[in-house]
Amino acid sequence: MSPLRVGVDTGGTFTDVVALDLGTGRIETRKVSSTPGDPAVAVIEGLRRLLAQMKNSPRDVEGFVHGTTVATNALLEGKWAKTALVTTEGFRDVLEIGRQDRPDLYDFFVEKPEPIVPRSLRFEVPERLDHRGRVLRPLDERALEGIAERIQREDVQSVAVVFLFSYLNPEHERRAREILRRGLPPSVPIVLSCETLPEFREYERTSTTVMNAALVPVVSRYLGTLERGLREFGLGCEVRVMQSNGGIASVAQARRLPAALVLSGPAGGVAGAQFLGELIGHRDLIALDMGGTSCDVSLIRGGRPRLSGEGAIAGRPLRLPMLDIQTIGAGGGSIAWVDAGGALKVGPRSAGAEPGPAGYGRGGTEPTVTDAQLVLGRLDPERPLGDIPRLDVEAARRAIRKIAEPLGLPLERAALGIVKVANANMERAIRALTVERGHDPRDFALLAFGGAGQLHAADLARALRIPKVILPPAAGVLSALGLLAADAVLTFGQTVLQPLERADWTLLRSILEGFREEGRKRLQEDGLPEEHITFAPSLDLRYRGQAFELNVPLTPEELGALGPETGARVARRFHEAHERAYGFSAPEEPVEIVHVRLVALGRGAKPRLPRRRLAEPPEPRTRRPVCFEDTGWVECPVYEREALYEPFAITGPAVLEGQDATALVPPGVRAWADAYGTVFLSVCE
Amino acid sequence: MSVDPITLEVARNALEGIADEMNLALIRSSYSPNIKERRDCSSALFDAKGRMIAQSWGMPVHLGAMPFSVKAALQELKEWEPGDVVVLNDPFRGGAHLPDLTFVTPIFHRDTLVGYAANRAHHADIGGMRPGSIPADASEIHQEGLRIPPVKLRRRGRWDRDLLELILANVRTPKERVGDLRAQFAANETGRRRLLEFIERCGPERFRMLVEALLDYSEKRLRAALKTLNPGTYRFEDALDDDGRSARDVRIRAAVTVDAERGSVVVDFTGSSPQVEGPVNAVYAVTASATYYTVRCFTDPGVPPNDGAYRPIAIVAPEGTVVNATPPAAVVGGNLETSQRIVDVLIGALAQAAPERALAACQGTMNNVALGGIDPRTGEPYTVYETIGGGFGARRGKDGLDGVHCHMSNTLNTPVEALETAYPLRVERYELRPGTGGRGRWRGGWGIRRDVRVVDHRATLSLLTDRRRSRPYGLRGGEPGAPGQNVLIRNGHEYELPAKGVVELQPGDVVSIRTPGGGGYGPPEERDPPQREPNPQAGKL
Repeated sequence: MSPLRVGVDTGGTFTDVVALDLGTGRIETRKVSSTPGDPAVAVIEGLRRLLAQMKNSPRDVEGFVHGTTVATNALLEGKWAKTALVTTEGFRDVLEIGRQDRPDLYDFFVEKPEPIVPRSLRFEVPERLDHRGRVLRPLDERALEGIAERIQREDVQSVAVVFLFSYLNPEHERRAREILRRGLPPSVPIVLSCETLPEFREYERTSTTVMNAALVPVVSRYLGTLERGLREFGLGCEVRVMQSNGGIASVAQARRLPAALVLSGPAGGVAGAQFLGELIGHRDLIALDMGGTSCDVSLIRGGRPRLSGEGAIAGRPLRLPMLDIQTIGAGGGSIAWVDAGGALKVGPRSAGAEPGPAGYGRGGTEPTVTDAQLVLGRLDPERPLGDIPRLDVEAARRAIRKIAEPLGLPLERAALGIVKVANANMERAIRALTVERGHDPRDFALLAFGGAGQLHAADLARALRIPKVILPPAAGVLSALGLLAADAVLTFGQTVLQPLERADWTLLRSILEGFREEGRKRLQEDGLPEEHITFAPSLDLRYRGQAFELNVPLTPEELGALGPETGARVARRFHEAHERAYGFSAPEEPVEIVHVRLVALGRGAKPRLPRRRLAEPPEPRTRRPVCFEDTGWVECPVYEREALYEPFAITGPAVLEGQDATALVPPGVRAWADAYGTVFLSVCE
Repeated sequence: MSVDPITLEVARNALEGIADEMNLALIRSSYSPNIKERRDCSSALFDAKGRMIAQSWGMPVHLGAMPFSVKAALQELKEWEPGDVVVLNDPFRGGAHLPDLTFVTPIFHRDTLVGYAANRAHHADIGGMRPGSIPADASEIHQEGLRIPPVKLRRRGRWDRDLLELILANVRTPKERVGDLRAQFAANETGRRRLLEFIERCGPERFRMLVEALLDYSEKRLRAALKTLNPGTYRFEDALDDDGRSARDVRIRAAVTVDAERGSVVVDFTGSSPQVEGPVNAVYAVTASATYYTVRCFTDPGVPPNDGAYRPIAIVAPEGTVVNATPPAAVVGGNLETSQRIVDVLIGALAQAAPERALAACQGTMNNVALGGIDPRTGEPYTVYETIGGGFGARRGKDGLDGVHCHMSNTLNTPVEALETAYPLRVERYELRPGTGGRGRWRGGWGIRRDVRVVDHRATLSLLTDRRRSRPYGLRGGEPGAPGQNVLIRNGHEYELPAKGVVELQPGDVVSIRTPGGGGYGPPEERDPPQREPNPQAGKL
């Protein structure tokens, strides 16, 4: 038996398992119901079933990567560990005051997320550094001993320590850990802000550090259970985990920095899109993952996904570098409604998985996007969808009538309208991700996946003038496939705040080299050979006086030769980047280095997908009437999605029906397939 | 041909997306912490007639007032050419107060004027008698800073160097200003380009129809919501502590008449104090802004804010009063403080029409603090302007939020680590004030205490704050919130500072601003479990 690599993606409804046979390149998948009580149960059960189906043994598995929602759900559902916070005297409420703003301007009943650490567990200790990291007031060690006692009495499971300006001088935080350690049981982790996010802006650093501390016990427990379960099952290889930055990490790293797992789930999809794009030669992609309740949009530029340092989860800032994924409440289950002014709205309320759209026949009566697609003939009611044997068109029509009647529209017009409004919501999210950040959508291809994405892709691309749509093979399990293809990624960063013209280059080089050696060491410990490890150093720069930074990459050679000359080159690059992003630059203004950053990348082996060329272009399986905006009802050929390879080439209208997703080719749009089974649509010609 | 509800929703999404993108461009490319970190700015799109069609998220106090800027610019300037950009800040000609500079850029499709992009940003200094340009001791507008009527700062695509130099010569931190001005220009350019793309897609004729439909839609929605209020005339009165020149309180009085049949409302401020000597006079645009804001919150916060949403609202504000000041009144605090009190008064009135939708009084002040001096580390002058959050009023079913900006303001704070790096100041304490919320079945939110030390130099402090004597009212039996307090700590002694005033600070002085709590809602005895005096060391009650 040849060795296997396995990816397991835990979703809200299903846990997807995908295995790649490294000898034959064969890929097999299995879906099992998720087990939210203990997600590890479904992970192991899915693996067991898939291995049985492939007639492999657990011993054959030589790589195992997991996308988990444990960290995300703990934060969304408030199931974090009881955590204490120790701060500089006078600043324990920073966590609660935040930035003083309220999340909604016009809502008298607005609410702020509860702070993860309640006031009674926030402790102040006399100490203070100034803005250059010099000690203004020494750490009061006696006070700290008293705090340790009180924390101990409160039965706290985790402790975060955040002092002002600790990113410039970590001594006080480190000393605080030593003292707290003596007074606390070894099982209680002590998390320091200078090690979690050594960057300025105390609220964001506090929020990130507290979130990390509150997750350490939760994630450690889960990963411990999972590892034990997999061992007992017979798995011999290391377990790796997908992180929010789009790269994988060891269990040890995930335990150290669990806050880096909050996008572990959707990151698999981005990694899948990145992998497929690489394979078919598309390095600039807008990835659209539309499922039942929401839609995730992200950007891949030059073959790498965009990272952002401005993330937040459930209203709380989390400033670790993570994939820039915009999530909007537009999914197949999003509910359409008419507001008081007579406008048609879609979402954010969703029918969810239960009862689901009316057409699922499980008691749902509200009109959803999926119901609209069903009424328009775009989904085949006779085709089973997961464990739903057939769809109920009549129920969908009844639901859509609730919209059509008050608006005085024919049924089809109302259904088309629902799809159009859902598209408008998604279009705005894509614009936010591209044009607002200085990118032109026309330079990208739209890669659509997830259960519902391929029905909307062509219309969206047309609205955004994106010339090409890519419909990946295995659209439903692209996320799990991405797990198999992802690289190991570690990110490092530190605030330095120095003028570019008079920077302390020796210091900057030593910080970056420190990051590089730390990255190399950790990746090598994870078994990555030296020749697969690369480093991407960069600087975050701004004009002095600005408060937002632009990231400007350095070449690895520049890292070694940091100095005034490199500085001048970097400055030029910064002016250009500023011009691109904001339409102007100010070369005469002084530039400031805010952060230094480094990404350590360990390139993993990539799956090889099988290639096929058909002797004859495939014929449609059947025909049925489908309704489109421009043409109304037209007789439409229906193709079996899984059978589409080279030389398939048609002009729409057509429907491409697959195991877990249906794609739509509107009238006049050209579609063709390549040897991997990827289908391309040419939208704007 | 009419506009169907689907096209309407698609167009609304697109136009609001453009306004948001403008504001984002402004925040990201501006220089001063006040715009970048605190986001004291807003953006909007207007049609060829100067009617607002879409606006970004941003400051409520800007958004209702910006339409007046565009109308004033249209009135005063008859010739518009492609590449022109108009700037203004004159409160008596379309502005609100001098630190808010508004940029208006005409948008031409081919050769036809199709609309305007506009944005407004609060500049940390616009000259005048005090650093930070919020002089609490001003008695006429000429002391408050440079007054700019609607004039072209760019003509046919080029900066008017003369005018730019004139502006920069009159402000304390010209480098920062020029960066912010450039950012304001760039934001409007973003709006211009995007709106043209939108018009290219739908055609100019269709665009005009869409605008009419969008305005009608907002009007219809607001009227529908107004029809759900109990009809009648509701009166309320409240006051500012003082005007910064004398200790007399400044009364705001309103009678709000709801016509539930037509879905309209008349807000009459007759009986409010005549305009005062100190700088708390509000110009009409500010009063209108506060009124639109309150009606919107009370009825349907989801109504797309555009010109149509103003149609069902009529305002009577007698000239020469604190709610409609005439030159040469000092007005800087009208926008900041009086606007908040107008909201308090209108909520107090509308609470009688719909108590379940009301909230008790919020802190009722923005706690404006400006500091300026020479930075001993660089020898350069600096000015810092901050506003501080406080207690939010209690609502039916919910306690008030602690330590947030309320009503007409929603700016972010400046992080301590950013402030101390940029300025010779040290924040010694930044914390909630437990127990300052009014007791009630639902308690009011807590105020904030922020202590700032002046390090190694002398500085001038301007304070423009309120609710230092009077207290934010409670509703339906809830108790009022605690008043705020301004304190100078010098050599370990505490000295009470006035609500409004200017103080010369010595090296090592600490300014301690303690902001008011919000009012409570419902009788405290009905709280479950009954509310006791809070223990500041404990968690929350």
